[in-house]
Amino acid sequence: MNEAALKSDTQDIVVDDVLPHAPETIWKTLTSGELIGRWLMQPTGFEPVKGKRFTFQTTPAGAWDGVVHCEVLEVTRNECLAYSWQGGHDSNAHYGARLDTIVTWTLARVDGGTRLRLVHSGFVTPRNDAAFKAMSEGWKKIVGRIGAISGE
Amino acid sequence: MTQTTSIDAVMRTLADPTRRAVFERIVKSEEITVAELTRGSGVTQGAISQHLKSLKQAGLVADRPEGRNVHYRADPKGLAPLVDWMALYAVFWRERFANLRTLLKEIDP
Repeated sequence: MNEAALKSDTQDIVVDDVLPHAPETIWKTLTSGELIGRWLMQPTGFEPVKGKRFTFQTTPAGAWDGVVHCEVLEVTRNECLAYSWQGGHDSNAHYGARLDTIVTWTLARVDGGTRLRLVHSGFVTPRNDAAFKAMSEGWKKIVGRIGAISGE
Repeated sequence: MTQTTSIDAVMRTLADPTRRAVFERIVKSEEITVAELTRGSGVTQGAISQHLKSLKQAGLVADRPEGRNVHYRADPKGLAPLVDWMALYAVFWRERFANLRTLLKEIDP
């Protein structure tokens, strides 16, 4: 891989789903530390208050201790929650690489429930050559590395 | 996590189409021997053995000797350098959404 193949860009992950529950109910699952622990990961020090800093412990990699550092950036009750999501270390490539991203949850009341939208933004992704892209597409399916993110 | 295997090494190893095909067959099997890999591959057992050696050096496969046979299996850790944060988080969030759905059913049936 040469330098030309490593031009950086940032990209977002978007997950969008209608859940058959009221925004108020979903809001609770996004903003109660105990409930967050039951579907995402157990946060340390979370409170739905702007400026509040909290962490998640995931699997360490190299010089990175595995701690994801977050800060609440926006809280609009039953509508929007955003926090920074930072971790990793410059000495790591890929898993455990430097990560400086933002997680934003948006809730909108719709017929039969709530549209919940997650945007995880700011991924710096190397633009690899076609071969690498083709490969990683295939491998994504077989690599169960999600446990590492969740510290399992 | 395997930190010693660089992405370059993994990519170099998997750039060879025959070797990649060998690796894919190992991934699909729980465990597989050289003889089984050779069957239907169109290449010699010696060539398969060479590919296995490279895959092992790249940390992509692990082996388990048993009597005269050596059983090979994929070592998912070896693929870690190939999977970037974004790919991991894309899967991660989809899984978390599924968890959230389940939790909501429990607390708000």
